[in-house]
Amino acid sequence: MSDAMARSKTIMPGAITPSATPVVDTDALREYLAFQLAEEFYALPLGAIREILKPPAITPVPRTAAHVLGIISVRGRVTTVLDLRRKLRVLEAPHDKHTRVLLVDKGDEIMGLLVDRVLQVYRLAADEIELSGVVAGDMSEFVYGIGRPRVNRTRETRGDVADDSDILILLEPTPLLRK
Amino acid sequence: MSDNVRDEFLAEAQEIIESLSRDLLLLDQAQKDAGGDPDLVNEVFRGVHTLKGIAGMFGYHQLGAVAHALEDLLDDLRLGRVALSQEVLDVLFEGVENFQRLLSDDEAALAGVNLDAYAANIERVSGKGRAAVHDPLSEYDIDPGVMAVLTEYEEHRLRTNLQQGLTLYRLHVRFSLASIDTLLEDLKRRAKPVAEIITYLPSMDGGDGDHIELDVLLASGVSAQHLGEVLDAREDALRVVPRLRGATHTHVDTPVPDGRPETPIPDGRIPPAPVPRELDQHAGISEDRGAEREVTADQLSLRSVANTVRVDIRKLDHLMNVVGELAIVRSSVARLTERIRRNPELRHLALELHRVNRGFERHLEELQDGILDVRMVPLGQVFDKLARIVRQVAREHEKEVRLVVTGAETEVDKLIVEELSDPLMHIIRNAIDHGIESPKVRELAGKPTTGTLALNAFQKGNHVLIEIEDDGAGMNEGKLVEAAVRKGMLARELAGEVSREDALNFIFAPGFSTSASITDISGRGVGMDVVKTNISRLGGVIDVQSEQGIGSKFTITLPVTLAIISALLVRVRDRWYALPITSVQEAIALDEHSVRTVEGREVLTLRGGTLPICRLERLFELTHIPRPEAVRQYVVVSALGHRRLGFVVDALAGQQDIVIKALGPSLRDTRGFAGATDLGDQRVALVLDAPGLLEEVLSGSEGVRVRARA
Repeated sequence: MSDAMARSKTIMPGAITPSATPVVDTDALREYLAFQLAEEFYALPLGAIREILKPPAITPVPRTAAHVLGIISVRGRVTTVLDLRRKLRVLEAPHDKHTRVLLVDKGDEIMGLLVDRVLQVYRLAADEIELSGVVAGDMSEFVYGIGRPRVNRTRETRGDVADDSDILILLEPTPLLRK
Repeated sequence: MSDNVRDEFLAEAQEIIESLSRDLLLLDQAQKDAGGDPDLVNEVFRGVHTLKGIAGMFGYHQLGAVAHALEDLLDDLRLGRVALSQEVLDVLFEGVENFQRLLSDDEAALAGVNLDAYAANIERVSGKGRAAVHDPLSEYDIDPGVMAVLTEYEEHRLRTNLQQGLTLYRLHVRFSLASIDTLLEDLKRRAKPVAEIITYLPSMDGGDGDHIELDVLLASGVSAQHLGEVLDAREDALRVVPRLRGATHTHVDTPVPDGRPETPIPDGRIPPAPVPRELDQHAGISEDRGAEREVTADQLSLRSVANTVRVDIRKLDHLMNVVGELAIVRSSVARLTERIRRNPELRHLALELHRVNRGFERHLEELQDGILDVRMVPLGQVFDKLARIVRQVAREHEKEVRLVVTGAETEVDKLIVEELSDPLMHIIRNAIDHGIESPKVRELAGKPTTGTLALNAFQKGNHVLIEIEDDGAGMNEGKLVEAAVRKGMLARELAGEVSREDALNFIFAPGFSTSASITDISGRGVGMDVVKTNISRLGGVIDVQSEQGIGSKFTITLPVTLAIISALLVRVRDRWYALPITSVQEAIALDEHSVRTVEGREVLTLRGGTLPICRLERLFELTHIPRPEAVRQYVVVSALGHRRLGFVVDALAGQQDIVIKALGPSLRDTRGFAGATDLGDQRVALVLDAPGLLEEVLSGSEGVRVRARA
């Protein structure tokens, strides 16, 4: 989490780019939990994440879509787990010690999402988010936008921090978890 | 307003509305039998009054307004300013309906409330219903001085009693001032079984310093002599108030029914709720004496259950989850005990642990039974609602329907009761709309003009059966088959081959409706297929029987509880599944050599009958997983009505009590599974929906066959 602290930014008033939607409250910082799938970085709104689990034994459910991995029991509650790689059509890979299940609240149900690796929390200002439409293809339905976290270069926080070519694909939980 | 407070209000309001609904149904019957029942009117009046009060307190102003308007109408009824008629009852029932809608979160339900129209309805009946009857009081020689001091309610009661042909008596008593209270109470108590005290007034003759003389005005159906004896009155103290010239005496010998004494409400005071009446509360508009008595024993009067607590069902679900977890702990301890036992040095310890665990197990079972018991509610809860629907639908269609309820005390899991209401309502609407004929048609057919709708519930083993039977027209097999062909559900060539039973089962097919005209009632886009789906979601099955000209009967078979069931654990390749034991008839070893193929479907011969089999590994597409060992497979035989199907599995692992948990909404459309259960070793097993699978596999094959031939 110290990593996350290092990256969290203070906001810079007046840094609104003309392309930013004026409706967005620029003072509001949005928190996103970033995770990795293959070589890509994705993020979900932190508010939608209920829990992060090490993957338990998953019971497969026959006759479901390919991206439905199966069910697990989270303290007595049967929870459906989806494979985000399959859902986003990223090439599959075997589980490793970094594999996690994110429990995400979709409104009427809490569902599990299998991801390769959980990274950190980002706090993004409105001007660090490009709304979707930029990324074409059929994934745009659940892509909210692209996050481009700025790295404050005046601080000595360089170290392991990725450069500002970091791109986060910001996902919308509800459409993402809809079948 | 906090959610808690709001929930509390909703629960209380709901209770009031339910009891209003019950009282209205009784009142409806009383209106038909005897023109009304003042006790019931008072009861309804008090209910609405309370509802108005709490609605105001919790800011449900619309509800409060409806209650207020209704209260006025009821007050008029109570005071005889408006006569109780079916039209008035319609408005009262509509009021209950509106309360129900105003309490719901459902936008559509809320939109269905037209308060202005309703207010107009109330206005209409209170205007029209004003009693314009001949005033019987004019026939009696009652002291104008007395008349002048009667309250409006007393005057109304007086009038009503006279209209019923009761005799009016005047009792002159002299009480000592010191003991007047007890003496009066004593008088009231004595009079109650045979007479209604309308009022008592200080006598015109006055009294002296120590005594007071009272004139008591009573109405009674018994003779002066009898009344005198009961009241222990001096002969000259009790006089019949005579009728005036020429008034025809229409004395009918109808004493006030025992056990249901009239209890007038002194103006402005709400007396305590009376003890529950003997009259059956569930049978509603039933006339069947036998049925009424049957229910009476266990009647559920809201007023009689003072020592109860309302609990959110989710809290019980949570407790059940905890019990489930404890059961898992218990089996883990048993496993550990077994391991310890293998160590000779620790044997005594293992023995002790075993004993402790047994005790734990016993208490756990008790706890589990206790929670299950708490979840059980009488079906009467949903039957009451249905009685209202029956009345409403029958009136809308101008049909005469008598509802006979038996077994309202039969208990099932609360969740099942909740989910039953819609399917039952639909079947009942259909039965009245399509089943029971109009009085004219019935008369021509030589049937009684009033149709009978029987709602029977009873427990049979681990199941509860609900029968909905009507003595209506029955279903026309030919029409059903024709409609099935027209809708492309059946190849025309096969129309002649359909058995009566299969023809009847078409009504459960999606999109099937024989009704040419979509009526307001039955044609709401929900068909019997939805009914069937909802029932099978509850782990139940629905069957239909029908004889043309005689009637139809739907039988719903439901498990008593959904919370915990006994299940057979089976393995298919490396997967474990639980099969509810209620769906399992038997399990036999599979003899591959005896498998035959009939029209592309594998079957076995079992005791002379043909048993279709379904290889779960193929149905679930698990054939890519290697079978752990090449041993013999098993066939688990499951039955739905008279149809059977054998599920082929790789291993049987015995019976286990399991807590079924629902799959999440995301998997709701996945067919074949009733839920999932924790097996205790961190693994979750799917619970098979045997009736659903059976249905799917068997009807699927029929569909294929039909298409192949067509």
